[in-house]
Amino acid sequence: MKTQMVESAHREALVKQDRPFDPFDASLFWKPFRKNTRQRYDVLPFHPDYPELLKSCEVLAYLIRSYTVWEMTCGALGHPGGSFSEAECLAVLFNYVLRFDPQDPKWPMRDVFYLSKCHACPGLYTTLALFGYFPIQKLKYYGAWGSGLESHPDCIVTPGIEVSGGSLGQIPGVAVGRALGIRYNGPDHNDRMVYVLMGDGECNEGSVWEAFMAAGHWKLDNLVAIIDYNKVEAKGFLSQDMSIEPLADKLHAFNFQVFEAQNGHNVAELVDIFNRIGAQRKGKPTALILNTIKGKKVRECQYNPNWHTSAPRNVETAGMWLGELWDQDGRRLGIPKEFHLALKQAIEIVPPMHGNPDEIYERQA
Amino acid sequence: MAQFVIPKRDETKEMRYYMGYALADLAYEYDRIIAVDADLRSSSGLHIFEHFHPAKLVKVGIAEQNLIAVAAGLSQEGYIPFPCTFDAFSRRFMDQLYVTVAYSNLNVKVLGAYPGLFTGKAGATHQSDKELGIILRIPNLTVIEPGCNLEMAQALRCSVEKHGPFYFRIVRCEVEYNEIFEGYQFEIGKGVTVYDEGTDIGLVSTGYMIRTAKIAAQKLTRRGIGVRVDHHPTLKPFDRELLYDLAKRVSCIITLENHCTSGGLFSLVAEALAVRGIGVPVGAIGTDPDDFIHTGHVNDLLYRYQMTSDHVVEKALALLGQKDKAQ
Repeated sequence: MKTQMVESAHREALVKQDRPFDPFDASLFWKPFRKNTRQRYDVLPFHPDYPELLKSCEVLAYLIRSYTVWEMTCGALGHPGGSFSEAECLAVLFNYVLRFDPQDPKWPMRDVFYLSKCHACPGLYTTLALFGYFPIQKLKYYGAWGSGLESHPDCIVTPGIEVSGGSLGQIPGVAVGRALGIRYNGPDHNDRMVYVLMGDGECNEGSVWEAFMAAGHWKLDNLVAIIDYNKVEAKGFLSQDMSIEPLADKLHAFNFQVFEAQNGHNVAELVDIFNRIGAQRKGKPTALILNTIKGKKVRECQYNPNWHTSAPRNVETAGMWLGELWDQDGRRLGIPKEFHLALKQAIEIVPPMHGNPDEIYERQA
Repeated sequence: MAQFVIPKRDETKEMRYYMGYALADLAYEYDRIIAVDADLRSSSGLHIFEHFHPAKLVKVGIAEQNLIAVAAGLSQEGYIPFPCTFDAFSRRFMDQLYVTVAYSNLNVKVLGAYPGLFTGKAGATHQSDKELGIILRIPNLTVIEPGCNLEMAQALRCSVEKHGPFYFRIVRCEVEYNEIFEGYQFEIGKGVTVYDEGTDIGLVSTGYMIRTAKIAAQKLTRRGIGVRVDHHPTLKPFDRELLYDLAKRVSCIITLENHCTSGGLFSLVAEALAVRGIGVPVGAIGTDPDDFIHTGHVNDLLYRYQMTSDHVVEKALALLGQKDKAQ
């Protein structure tokens, strides 16, 4: 409590002094829930830190969305729909579930996290930056030549990315091979887990089911496949274009134990499910279906395929989105209003490094 | 449990079986080697590996995309996976090879069995003579097509000792143990001169075609024509220096490959010569880029695509005659 008071006094002091608010110092209102992200810290609902865990995850999800808006607008690139639908899941995974070390991204005892819906990497890049894999300011150059933040993740240039990807349906198989390799490596004192976050539309790919078949056959109980079931794909709705229903039944039939989050944006529900996943290994791989909403918390993006691939085209739109996010989450979570205003101020669309002598005109996606 | 016949090591000359032995030998030395099979083990030779290392063969079933993806995951836990299926099915996993394996620079060694002709009466679906067109343009990937069993075994060892993705084309048919010379040592990215009897014409071969090139060279020598044969087991990175050395000395070149005459060895040679402005005429021996390889006896296929040593001699004479006329 005491530290909280100090922090809020610090914030007030900042505002009073009329100094420009630094929107990139997230430590003013958020820090990782665990002091040591190399270790698990189990928190069940009666635990004294439970409210703090939920709040920390909620603030983190808010920050992921807000910085991602700024990042995509500066880069004139991105996939807001998928980045917003996965925000709470990323928040709970990194803040509570995964064991990792941003100072040593290849720490051999880490849990493995694969983002298979690679187009939603703006959200992941923001998460990695918030945990210290690289400075938050770097996100501004998302998609710029030589930035190390590729349109779809490249594991060679970006710390914290486990494998390069972007062509859907490939990484579930890699996760299966990884989980098998961990098992072959024998008794593992850290009980390492492999998590793979996939898209629902991605499940249209046949290779996903090849991977599921193998995971079920090999009974890989160190594998957790998370499906961000946001019901919308790039150009339409799953139920109309190519439905994956009955998804839970299919996964059961592939010999998974299946968990379902009724509301994939409810961090309490996610924490509860991950607590249960951590506590029960039934000799089967685990699937977690997250019922989410594509573009969650930005009105014009929600449940709208048009915002699958499209960064805000100008500062006004981005400012509106940042305002909406603050109205819904920032305000109730005690984030000063200056944060989102300053973040809007910090938007600067990164220009190309070279001129265009041949007058080639390309519209932004 | 299916029982496969394990051919005796000293009684078989088939490269696929020899590969099974070579990989099994390596796996005693390097315990991180693991083979991955997509339901073709007794055809590809991996059944021999399985015989010696039953716990080190991962079977993914008939799922080529998953074959490469699972191998990629295993490599990330420190294993050295050798996924193996028919070269023709590279068409099914090309994207996994490009994105997951090569883009991530993973330590995966893909074995393409049954490349080109010499695959029995396999037909258009199971023979592959077009895939180098893309495989040779995948960054980070090393592509090797060995010409004899010794070279194949040495190349497998080199791939284990060097981190990064590899692609091998391993023929099904019988080959000699050593086609090159006593004491030959394979080196990644290095071609080798295997026959040096004059400078009228240069033959540039890869893979199995080293044998055809050597037979053709002897026939040309008997006709009084000077021939040099260069063998290029590594197609990527391609040894341009050896080619330039050859092009300096000879008046024309013929490329020989167990692949179609576009996108493979012929294209590598033509591109390399063009950028230096070297105007040596180049003839191509290989299959037809505009044809599916229909089913037939290998003898008939070799005649259909004019790939025997007699055809090489014919082409050489025509090229040399053309050169004379031009002067």
